[in-house]
Amino acid sequence: MDGKRRILIMAVVFGLVALLPIFFGGSKVIMHILIMCLIWSVVASCWDLIMGFAGIFSFGQVAFFVIGAYASAIFSLRLGVPPIISTFLAGAVAAAVGVLVALPCLRLKGAYVALVTFAVHMILAPFLKSNMGRAIGTGGAQGLLTIPPISLFGYTFQNAEPIPFFYLTLVVAVICSLIIILVIMSHWGTAFLTLKDSEDFARALGVSALRYKLMVFALTSFLTGMIGGFYGHYVGMLSTRMLGIDLFVTLMIMLVIGGVGQYPGAVLGAFFTVTINEMLAPVGSYRPLILGAMVLILVLALPDGVVGLIRSLFNLGGRGARAGGRMK
Amino acid sequence: MLKIEKLNAYYGEFHVLEDINMEVPRGQVVVLLGPNGHGKSTLLKSICGLVRSVKGNILYKGQNITGMSTSRLVSMGITYIAENRELFPFMTVQENLKLGAFSRAARPHLKENLDMVFTLFPRLAERKKQLASTMSGGEGRMLAIARGLMSNADLLAVDEPSLGLQPNLRLEVFRIIKEINKQGKTILVVEQNIPKIAEMADKIYVLEEGMITFEGDKEKVLSSEHMKEIFLGM
Amino acid sequence: MEVIDVIISGMINGSVYALMAVGLTLVYGVSKVFNFAYGSFYSLGGYLAFSILSFKIFGGYVTVLVLAVPALLLFGYVVERAIVAPLRRWSSWEVKVMMLTLGLALLMDNLFQITYGARVKSLPVIVEGSLTVGPVIVSWQDIAIFVLSVSGMFAFRWVLNNTWVGLAVQAVAQNPNGAQIVGIPRDKIFAATFAISTVMVGLGGILLSQKYFVSPNQGWDILVKAWVITAFGGMGSIRGSLYAAFIMGMLEAFVGWMFGLTWVQFALFGVLLATLAIRPQGLMGKWG
Repeated sequence: MDGKRRILIMAVVFGLVALLPIFFGGSKVIMHILIMCLIWSVVASCWDLIMGFAGIFSFGQVAFFVIGAYASAIFSLRLGVPPIISTFLAGAVAAAVGVLVALPCLRLKGAYVALVTFAVHMILAPFLKSNMGRAIGTGGAQGLLTIPPISLFGYTFQNAEPIPFFYLTLVVAVICSLIIILVIMSHWGTAFLTLKDSEDFARALGVSALRYKLMVFALTSFLTGMIGGFYGHYVGMLSTRMLGIDLFVTLMIMLVIGGVGQYPGAVLGAFFTVTINEMLAPVGSYRPLILGAMVLILVLALPDGVVGLIRSLFNLGGRGARAGGRMK
Repeated sequence: MLKIEKLNAYYGEFHVLEDINMEVPRGQVVVLLGPNGHGKSTLLKSICGLVRSVKGNILYKGQNITGMSTSRLVSMGITYIAENRELFPFMTVQENLKLGAFSRAARPHLKENLDMVFTLFPRLAERKKQLASTMSGGEGRMLAIARGLMSNADLLAVDEPSLGLQPNLRLEVFRIIKEINKQGKTILVVEQNIPKIAEMADKIYVLEEGMITFEGDKEKVLSSEHMKEIFLGM
Repeated sequence: MEVIDVIISGMINGSVYALMAVGLTLVYGVSKVFNFAYGSFYSLGGYLAFSILSFKIFGGYVTVLVLAVPALLLFGYVVERAIVAPLRRWSSWEVKVMMLTLGLALLMDNLFQITYGARVKSLPVIVEGSLTVGPVIVSWQDIAIFVLSVSGMFAFRWVLNNTWVGLAVQAVAQNPNGAQIVGIPRDKIFAATFAISTVMVGLGGILLSQKYFVSPNQGWDILVKAWVITAFGGMGSIRGSLYAAFIMGMLEAFVGWMFGLTWVQFALFGVLLATLAIRPQGLMGKWG
């Protein structure tokens, strides 16, 4: 898929989404779902950029989101930083943590990165609840409850009035998507394709695998952390329950549906999954059970996601073909 | 013993073998010659179930074995001996040999086959407890052949046994292959280096660009001008 | 608590961790599969024991072992063949397996919660009473756990070195192509390895659940511990995992004793990062 086509698809998707408030503007529930779709589409896209394009098996995406959310909330609550600035600071914090985590493991094989980043995810909840966490203002087990909303040019984006907030989120999502598409289209994208084909070859060409991986890790952590901060100011409260495995799996479903490395599949996956997830709300405690089962079915039935399926149906070629012969 | 009819093989988009017909009679040494990268190894691996995307018929003892798994073929008596040895590096010589007798057909004969292999390769008997990874190239090659013999196979498919060996070791390997053949095994060998190997061949095939371009006995090959041009550079 | 009690506790937990970490590293070493549902398999062991014991049948834990080991073996084998193996023919299947097993973990944890409730369940002890040697008092339960997990390790080692399956498992780990050539059915060995690891972690669940109860979400803690031990010992190295498990058991006991339980997780994480930064191949290189 070339860059122009990606931009075209994204323009169509976001253009259609921009029109939706005309029809659903009256329903706060639907507007809330749409805002969530936009927020998670950024998180899922970042994950796809790092996993599908850079080939780094990071499992710390939710962790960076939560780090950003807490960081921005703490900056604004405890230090009085205006939320519009604190979200950027939160991105910087997430990027710094990302680089710190990535440094020891990016040189190693894929599985290590997955496990270390997942360990970050697992350690985050106990950290936020601990005395150390409380000392930096995480609110411990109780979490944070009175996070101020975002204000811009004297206007305050309250979550009670979803339409202005929706458009603000849309602008942020479009900017993030443009950045991601630019990265995929730039020489970074080419470098990553080379790296995936053969790391030795890429090294011979002077592509420093570690440097590129670190840069993309920092960038996606930054965007994820920033949108995390944004999310915190929207919902107004945070707790460590977000680090439960069901949210992680929900995010994973977005990518599984969209197809890994099939951007903008992840965006569509996010819209689809958030909607399904909201529709599952009435089944209550069976929701995670259904999510788990969905992963099994989707991964087995659609190893390259819906986009991959459509592509193979229309025989458009594309990556992610069968692995082929068993021996070299 | 082995009959191949209209065999085609593919690596992804590449059509590696085209309409191969060949026959390996029981008790003979058949040599398959050809330049590097023209599909010799693929043909051998197709016979042994190591390349799965094949079309056509491979008949072994009258039975169609196309598409069967390697583990099944090994228990039926077809064993592949790899050009790059494919030993188990952190196991001893003896353990490597034992695994050669993994198939159910071979397990009951483990002891007698070990004795047979050690008589054939006295050097391996001396090094029973040595790790495979610490062996020299020549010893490793011997071990690979010996491990193949442990499977009690009727048909041995040997992939470039002389690759990377010094001339005197090559002769040694060829002598052993002839010796094995005398003990009643049918052998299909792939080689590039013809003058030496041709001397022990009952029948020779030449594979070029995925097609059989020549077949006949060794006199016919050695006297053919075309063959001399290709392989001896004369 | 005295130092000697801390050491004993570290030894006992370490022995069970060894069993579980070796199972995890075995599967990774042989088939490059990383099983995110490993912790849920641990819970499965605990709940199996709980269910079997709740029938109050004859034999107590002997019956549990007789029934649970084959059940876990079968469960592991079926999971591998049914949902892991089909992914192998796809590109970047390793990460797909991770995603799949994460989903499986969520599914299993919630099945446990629906079946057994969210509250913790306690298991009866294997044996009552305690042994007094001079100033040291050790409960017979701890001794039983230690003996059982160590015998589990020996049984595993025996299988690995003395059976055709064990030899084949080593062969596949050392050279998958070579294994295929000698006629080892690789796919079956992958499944067998997965099944053996399921038994090892399930057994760990049965043994540790008497000390720490059973609850639906406890597995994640075990997964992280087993994986930190595996990385510290060297991925794919059985002996490395064995030593690492005892070292981690001790570390955990001492950190918990001196600073409190929350710090155990941070300490484990610190060890993980330090290992990867200083000696990424772990204590022992590869297979050994």
